[in-house]
Amino acid sequence: MRNSIYIPIVWIIPLTLLTTVLFPALSLGQGEVTSVINRYKQHEVSTGYYEQYEMKPRHESPLVRKFRGADRQPFTYSTTAAAVRNRSRLADSHSGIKFYDNRRCEECHVNETHDIHTARANLTCRQCHGPEPIASIRHYFSPMNPIRRHAYVCAKCHEGASASFATYVIHEPAAGAISTRTGFPALYYSYWFMLVLLAGTLAFFIPHSLLMGLRELFRKKKDN
Amino acid sequence: MMQTTRIKRFSILDRIFHLFLILTFLTQAATGFSRLFFPTTWGKSLNMVLGGYDTSMLIHKWVGVLMIYGFIFHTLYLLTRIDWKNFWTSLFGPDSLIPNFTDAKQLWQRILWFFGIGSPPKMGRWAYWEKFDYWAVYWGMPLLAITGVALMYPIFASRFVPGWALNIAVLLHRAEAILAISYIFIVHFYVGHLRPTSFPMNEAMFAGSMSLEEMEEEKPAWLDRLKKEGKLETAQVKPPSPLYKIVYFIFGYAALGFGVYLLINGIAYSRYITLH
Repeated sequence: MRNSIYIPIVWIIPLTLLTTVLFPALSLGQGEVTSVINRYKQHEVSTGYYEQYEMKPRHESPLVRKFRGADRQPFTYSTTAAAVRNRSRLADSHSGIKFYDNRRCEECHVNETHDIHTARANLTCRQCHGPEPIASIRHYFSPMNPIRRHAYVCAKCHEGASASFATYVIHEPAAGAISTRTGFPALYYSYWFMLVLLAGTLAFFIPHSLLMGLRELFRKKKDN
Repeated sequence: MMQTTRIKRFSILDRIFHLFLILTFLTQAATGFSRLFFPTTWGKSLNMVLGGYDTSMLIHKWVGVLMIYGFIFHTLYLLTRIDWKNFWTSLFGPDSLIPNFTDAKQLWQRILWFFGIGSPPKMGRWAYWEKFDYWAVYWGMPLLAITGVALMYPIFASRFVPGWALNIAVLLHRAEAILAISYIFIVHFYVGHLRPTSFPMNEAMFAGSMSLEEMEEEKPAWLDRLKKEGKLETAQVKPPSPLYKIVYFIFGYAALGFGVYLLINGIAYSRYITLH
């Protein structure tokens, strides 16, 4: 009797795998219905509204914060442009910049033209930031606002983009810069870890190989 | 007679794994560089040769998947190589690739020998730099695989990790690839084929065997052990045929030349790219 109910462990693994095939996949809809907290979060991130209330943008990860100094960069082209730094929540973020109509985005936003989206996918600024007036990223009705960025901007190319996906930092800061340590510490420490590993490995093995070669050369000369 | 005596060093499966790695690694290096250096003129030419940016990326992705299967298969193969009855001896014995205290000792002795102090250490079956070569690939592949799959399916990956983790994935994938390429094309090529003892080519990985003379010079401790255990006779194999030798010399030098080509251009155009 005991033998008949005994299931060897080797059968448990294939049976478990089989079960995962036979059972329907979990859907996000089920999650929304079964969990009040999850429903609240899902609704908030996808619409920006919950019931009749407007919600604030979703909380950002503590590991990706606003980059220190991002609002305090010097505006070399125009003194009036300094006002822009205080307009990060307005409908027209560039209002007040002199001769704005004759300028190109990259004249001021130089660093923003070097990332993967612009350098490799060849996107232009307006394909994501939209036509004039370009709203500030944090303006409530901006398509770039984190509460709807995934649906209004990312999903134009990345079908099915979620709010999580939209936390990808398009205009990455310089990974090794000291300001990145506070703004995007995971990127900063990953960068320095890999750089030390790369430099350390080569710094040890290149001289090691060369010395090995030289020593063998001397030994062969001596033997001959 | 001494010259023709050859001792078996690698099994046919070991050699197939190495060949698989040469072909997939060079493909990944070329297609990966074509993407990394895309903003440069050289990167654009490389893309043209590989069928354009999209085709190049498609090759990169699916050869990457092939490498993952190769890695899984190799890991299963490793498990079959463990002698479960003598588990610890199997893991830390002289035939094992796992680094041990002797490797550290031999590294130190070798450094002293570089500067004319003492005699060179008597290497066993695996020298410490050969073990490093092996484990560098072994830990690098999962890192490249995990970050590569996350970048291949970014929407799916962002269900499990936040989107900003993809920024980290790009950085890790690139940095690890650059590390692997630099190490293989500089250190591995030089130590394996170009240093005086190995020149013109270390044939062991292609022929599967090494000459007794070479063994006396490079692996004296292993030779002593085989003699002591009475296994030297059984370990002897026939030398490779001249035709096969011609084939692997041409293939080996073509692979080396292609690697050096990628390396030189990579260094020349490195100022136009970033690690992330």
